Amino acid sequence: MPISSARTLFAASLLALAVIPAHAQKKGGTLTYTYQPEPTAMSTISTTAVPVALIATKIYESLLEYEGAGMKPVPGLAESWTVSKDKKTYTFKLRKGVTWHDGKPFTSDDVKFSIEKVVTPFHSRGKTYFGEVAAIETPDASTVIFKLKQPVPYFLRAFQAAESPLMPRHGFSDEEIATGKIRTAKIMQNPIGTGPFKLKEWKKGSHIILERNPSYWKPGRPYLDQVVLRVLPDGSARAIAVEKGEVDLAPMSSLPPAEIQRLGKLPTMVASQEGNEGLGPIMWLEVNNRSKPLSDVRVRQAMSLAIDRRKLVDVIWYGQGKPASGPIVSGNPNHFDKLLKPLEHDVARANKLLDDAGYKRGANGVRFKLTQNFLPYGEEWVRQAEYLKQEFRKVGIEVETQSLDLGGWLKRIYTDWDYDYTSNFTHNYSDPTIGVQRAFISTNIKRGATFSNSMDYVNENLDALFRKAALLEDGPERAQVWAQIQAILRRDMPVIFLMEMSYSHIWNKRVHGLITNGISMYSGWDGVWVD
Amino acid sequence: MNKGTVAFVGRRLLQLVPVVLAIATLNFVLIKMAPGDAADILAGQMGHATLEFTQELRREFGLDLPLAEQFLVYIRRLATLDLGVSVIQQQPVLDLILDRLPATLLLMVTAIGVAIASGVSLGVVAARRQGGWVDNVISVVALLVYATPAFWLGLMLIVFFSIQLDLLPSGGMMRIGVDQSPFALALDVAHHLVLPALTLGLFYAAIYARLMRASMLEVYGQDFITTARAKGLPERAVAWSHAARNALLPVVTLAGMQLGHLLGGSILIETVFAWPGLGRLVFDALQQRDLNLLLGILFVSSVVVVLANLLVDLLYGMLDPRITHK
Repeated sequence: MPISSARTLFAASLLALAVIPAHAQKKGGTLTYTYQPEPTAMSTISTTAVPVALIATKIYESLLEYEGAGMKPVPGLAESWTVSKDKKTYTFKLRKGVTWHDGKPFTSDDVKFSIEKVVTPFHSRGKTYFGEVAAIETPDASTVIFKLKQPVPYFLRAFQAAESPLMPRHGFSDEEIATGKIRTAKIMQNPIGTGPFKLKEWKKGSHIILERNPSYWKPGRPYLDQVVLRVLPDGSARAIAVEKGEVDLAPMSSLPPAEIQRLGKLPTMVASQEGNEGLGPIMWLEVNNRSKPLSDVRVRQAMSLAIDRRKLVDVIWYGQGKPASGPIVSGNPNHFDKLLKPLEHDVARANKLLDDAGYKRGANGVRFKLTQNFLPYGEEWVRQAEYLKQEFRKVGIEVETQSLDLGGWLKRIYTDWDYDYTSNFTHNYSDPTIGVQRAFISTNIKRGATFSNSMDYVNENLDALFRKAALLEDGPERAQVWAQIQAILRRDMPVIFLMEMSYSHIWNKRVHGLITNGISMYSGWDGVWVD
Repeated sequence: MNKGTVAFVGRRLLQLVPVVLAIATLNFVLIKMAPGDAADILAGQMGHATLEFTQELRREFGLDLPLAEQFLVYIRRLATLDLGVSVIQQQPVLDLILDRLPATLLLMVTAIGVAIASGVSLGVVAARRQGGWVDNVISVVALLVYATPAFWLGLMLIVFFSIQLDLLPSGGMMRIGVDQSPFALALDVAHHLVLPALTLGLFYAAIYARLMRASMLEVYGQDFITTARAKGLPERAVAWSHAARNALLPVVTLAGMQLGHLLGGSILIETVFAWPGLGRLVFDALQQRDLNLLLGILFVSSVVVVLANLLVDLLYGMLDPRITHK
């Protein structure tokens, strides 16, 4: 028996749109954005790196779309859906008359093919979302049924354009499918999607032009004629291009924080940190819990108390973020525990904790020495390392900084496990079972697995809570489990939570309608318009 | 071209083989010595990839084979001019390079043209007025330009010409999304080329100006200049047709040797001006441990440098008929 149908919701939202004055949205025009580096492909199957996700989500779609910061699923290529009572069968009714960019019809076979042969095996999170799928049935051209082995609470969040892009079966050659050469298939460079825009020109190293898909299934959409990506490798050059109006939008912190702060004050610009709630980037100090003194929870708590997070956000990151309260970002309305207080800054207590732990100051005021690494993503990370060194010095911890490039950093942290602490950031994604569990569950202490539990943190009680949360539907009971998890992680401090990073977007005031949901920059932009 | 020259060219082309092999081996060893591999980086960029996923990537790109075997595979492919597939970009390396090579060549050729033309002229002018205020001004300016970091000079030129005066574009190679006739496109590209070529060329112009000045002064002291002056030739003709032609050889030699250096310099300049050339590709390939791509670029650039040096050697013969190619 169907327990959820969203058709009425969709009708209601259309009605809401109709209330907005008709002259508000303008048709035509070009939106130019810049992001560094240049994408390496046109599909997130090839890689889910940010530049690829930005462009691919204008070209490809998935079954659903999402509304608001809470990422409420609404109809997309699927007109409606039902979920069985045991939550193990999801039936999607596909929209009729949708065509691929090459004119061929979009059918349930394409959905089955995409999920089974492309997304599950090759998308970096394919097995996370679809690992429990036992079978995909296609009784007719516009019906797709997913049969799950066990309930997956975040299953309806899997159908985001960046996470499970639907690709045409006829876009792959038989040989590419037979030999598994999916990631290097021709279609990755020459996309055929159903999305509001299609590829017109890609001049490598210079620009990409997408043009409107004239047969897009949403009537009257997209508003824009073109979306253009300009490749501008130098940060200052990107800022100049935005300032001069040559570029309309710099999404996802593609300008240096200092420039965002400066340009955001101009009357012609809008700077926003919204629209990323579905990604939830969070930064912490990843601490190696294996040996003394960092294996002592009091030491980690003392280090946490030594840090002034407000200052960190304001001075190092030019205000582009928020002090972290735990592993889940506060913008996540479904899972963040709103009762959590900010993490404290208290040097006296930090000193007392270290004294109690038996690490007395030596003659030169030093208790012990540590080596710090930092994520090699730019100068802010270096300055943050310098700032932390200062603060830790105040509580008697002497820090030496070690600089590595990304390849070296990944190896040292995740393969060699040879570090004391390092700055790091990961994403919550649309559900903490996907984004948070990964870094803290003890089964994920695996040598060579990037962004896993490198800390060697084992808490069986927490593991059990993660497993419990993974099977519950969103609601008060699940929220309670996540509140427990947040409390445990704040107490144990296997990592020292620093800051909810914000992806800051900055755009020219002529652009409208960008922020629509928790993954606004990974949305299709069919409702975006320019003056 | 006479027989001697043909044999000379043939011999030089043969020399390419050991040079390229040595470059390939050296770079293979260097990049393998750096910690971490491309599969880690690719998985890292994707975020939340499982260990199995990373290992599958490694298998897919042959990064799980023993080092010696990876090297053999690479050399075998290189022998058939197959540069392989970029691990990070997942496209054929040759395509990636050919997409960007023309832009880099255009920038390099223009920059070296600017450098030689202005460097040589300024050097001659300074030498003719040795010790005068013109000489002093040229020498000081040349020293200043030589000492200025190129990327900073580039940014300052952008601030002045593109933001303050709004005369020249701040970056890119052409206007985007405009259909232009071939002639209009050429003009457009030239317009975009001015600042990057100037930034890259000025540094070398400064070197050549100083070198040309010293070389001219040396030539001025030789007997055939006294003879030319005794014949009653005007000073301008003495300077340009007699002295300059002889003084040019060291400049040409240096320019030839600096081509590799120039390619390196273009990495920074291309980044500052968003010039869609090889420069940025090298930088990214190195950062991302993209072995195939890096080796491919180095292969192509070493071929370009060796060929350019060959051209320089041939140019010698034209400038100075006393030089023959044996």
